[in-house]
Amino acid sequence: MNNKRRDLIKKMTVSQQFVTQAEDNAKMDKVRRYAPLILLVIMTAIGGISQKNFFSWANIVNIMFQMSIPLVISVGLSFVLLLGSIDLSIEGNMGFAGSLVAFLVVNNSNSNNFGIFGVLIAILIGLAVGTVVGFLHTKGRIASFIVSYAVGCIMTGAAVLIYRGTPIQVKDPMFIAISQGRLFGIPYITLISFAVFIIGAIIMNYTAFGRAVFAIGDNEAAAASTGINITRTKIKVYALCGCTAAIAGVLQCMRLKLGQSNLGLNQMFPVVTAIVLGGGSVSGGKGGSLQTFVGVLIYTELANWLTLMGVDTNLKKVIQGIIIIIAVTLTVEHNRKTVVK
Amino acid sequence: MGEVLFETKGVGKTYGSNTVLHDIDMKIHSGEVIGLIGENGAGKSTLMKLISGVETPSMGEMFYMGKPYVATSIINANKQGIGMVFQEQSLVANLTVAQNIYLGREKKYSKAGLVNWAEMNKDAKKALERVDIKLEPGKKVRDIDMATREMVEIAKVLDVVTEAAEGHAIILLDEPTTVLSDDEIQEMYVQIRKMKAAGNGIVFISHHLDEILAITDTIYVFKDGEETAVFPTAEANIDVLYEKMVGRATTGEFYVEAQQSVPSDKVVLEVDDLSLFGVFNHISFKLHEGEVLGLAGLDGSGAEDVCNCLVGQVAPTEGRILIEGKEVRFGNSYQARKAGILSVPKDRRDEGMVSILSIEDNITISSWEHMKSKGLLSGKKIRQTALKWIKEAGIKCTGPKERISQLSGGNAQKVIFARVLESGCKVLILNHPTRGVDVGAKQEIYRLVREMTAAGHAIIVIGDTLDECLGLSSNVIVFRDGLISGSFDCPVDFKPSQQEVVHFMM
Repeated sequence: MNNKRRDLIKKMTVSQQFVTQAEDNAKMDKVRRYAPLILLVIMTAIGGISQKNFFSWANIVNIMFQMSIPLVISVGLSFVLLLGSIDLSIEGNMGFAGSLVAFLVVNNSNSNNFGIFGVLIAILIGLAVGTVVGFLHTKGRIASFIVSYAVGCIMTGAAVLIYRGTPIQVKDPMFIAISQGRLFGIPYITLISFAVFIIGAIIMNYTAFGRAVFAIGDNEAAAASTGINITRTKIKVYALCGCTAAIAGVLQCMRLKLGQSNLGLNQMFPVVTAIVLGGGSVSGGKGGSLQTFVGVLIYTELANWLTLMGVDTNLKKVIQGIIIIIAVTLTVEHNRKTVVK
Repeated sequence: MGEVLFETKGVGKTYGSNTVLHDIDMKIHSGEVIGLIGENGAGKSTLMKLISGVETPSMGEMFYMGKPYVATSIINANKQGIGMVFQEQSLVANLTVAQNIYLGREKKYSKAGLVNWAEMNKDAKKALERVDIKLEPGKKVRDIDMATREMVEIAKVLDVVTEAAEGHAIILLDEPTTVLSDDEIQEMYVQIRKMKAAGNGIVFISHHLDEILAITDTIYVFKDGEETAVFPTAEANIDVLYEKMVGRATTGEFYVEAQQSVPSDKVVLEVDDLSLFGVFNHISFKLHEGEVLGLAGLDGSGAEDVCNCLVGQVAPTEGRILIEGKEVRFGNSYQARKAGILSVPKDRRDEGMVSILSIEDNITISSWEHMKSKGLLSGKKIRQTALKWIKEAGIKCTGPKERISQLSGGNAQKVIFARVLESGCKVLILNHPTRGVDVGAKQEIYRLVREMTAAGHAIIVIGDTLDECLGLSSNVIVFRDGLISGSFDCPVDFKPSQQEVVHFMM
């Protein structure tokens, strides 16, 4: 605040000051909202200038491919974070879905051949697992991180039990066709991921459910007073998150043609970080599909650029960590108190 | 005025053994604006909660359109035609104006699960036009200013209730003018008159008497959960209103006034032109050794916020705090305690006591530095200190190891008092020191306050009632709208009357 403005504010009445402050905060909020986009532009510019082949079609496709799985995970996770909760069962859920689908389609260890039904079963079970997490969290009143972590453990263990120690190799022609197929040079897996993301965006922006999630995350009491069914909405969110985690697991299995429990290993936190980079908040109420997309893109571009620069893997992690802290510090809302009053 | 739309008969509310609202008879007529006034805790908000469906009455009956009225929730009340605009804005900032207006009511606009936002926006536009607002309904609430948000909130409530009860709805406005400028308040009046002309009944709560006199038809005065007077606004006399708002003064004996000390000339704490933008401005006062300084003011007047600054919870934007002539700055409560200021917080259960700890730990928690022996906490010292205070403050308990959560409100409060005294802090801030404490324990706390000043402590008190504030204090400062509006000397036997003081509060 410069001195002139400070003097001006000094002369106001308290309620004028309050209004001025609220408006200032709204302005800051606007700046903060565009910060991720600016960051993305800067990242892209730096990438393009420092690496000649950054903008090559091959590298663009590569970036899109790298962001595929995170994008699918981000669909459900965005909803969960909007609520201000967390879902730590995603990794276990992914591993389980991948292992199960490998077990159900043509593979090297049994004579199953459920084909597309195998995929559906795996996804439906993921959805059911998410529903259980949501149910235990809301009805059982258990903190989301604890209950989802516990369920994640169960799923990881159950995944290993499916293949009894030796990961199953997938031999299904459909899986092989999808994992190798490309349209205009873009892998099918990427196309599927983007389609899933678009469906998620439609749910978020064009359904009453999507709006209810925003309302609950921003102001649960207000949402309750308008007659929104809080419990049911939350359970649906976890069901959706379980569903997209399972889809991510199946896609991961297609990509690697292998079903094992660690398909999901270290997949969740990068996505949480990406969503926050895009302007989402772990305390809920902020973010959206566009923000999530921008966040995942920033995160992937950063990783891609560091690889192109030939940065050492360990150094890469250090740099990523530092950039994330800086970016999140810049975008996070520091003085929420005055806005809510 | 038309027919009676809404009526309460002997309505009351109790929480446990505590009666917060008692025997309220109120009639709301078609086309009537009712003004509700009273001090903090007079029961205005409680009555609103009962009518709007947030809570259910413990006694009495309510009638709406001649039929018994029961509301199980806010939405249930809305559906019957009764809606409330809440003091804290309840809009969701991240959603559009239209989405907020129809939040929870999207069904009308959805097809195959997808909501038709365009159609909703069209209806929202109409709802906004009803309150004369030209606003793009697709705009997010976070992008519109505070005054417009208030109007959106009114448009939302109006839309719900008129859908259910065209022309005979009840609209409750709980301090709708707090964030509005003078022009915006005039605009609000226009809207209230419009709702009134349409035949609705309106209840209007405000801390500003001029607003009440300007817009209402009838004034109900509440005091300590009871209805003390009803006047047609045209016949209301300001002095009588003030008189009805305050209760009878309790005897000086109750506040142990005989032991009220005369403050010395030594200034312990000085507050110099302190401001917290948007909350209070230009607050200056001096606190002397042995003085009890009372801060009086309604909710939101800034009195409590000044105390929050003094204990380091919030940093002021302007001005200085001096302790014994030296300027101090606090970033947190620890620094404030080190400088010699500690408080008995308002909310004992959430801010005052550490429920899982014993009485002795609760007493010594602010002075663990002095409880050490050879670098470690000494159980013996802690116990001796606790035993000393249990005796001195008359804490009824089975022993120093008992958990504080087992104690009654009054005894728990005495533990907190022992803590602030043991801390060695010179300046003590007592924020509603007798809230939720029974009469007997109250007097013991008053006696403790007298002993504290006699021992040279300087005390700032925010009273639970105005009576208490005047009874305890040697000086009183009155706050209104974030400014000091008046100050009074309160020597023994020459205390100002509550009416005089309340005049500066509203």
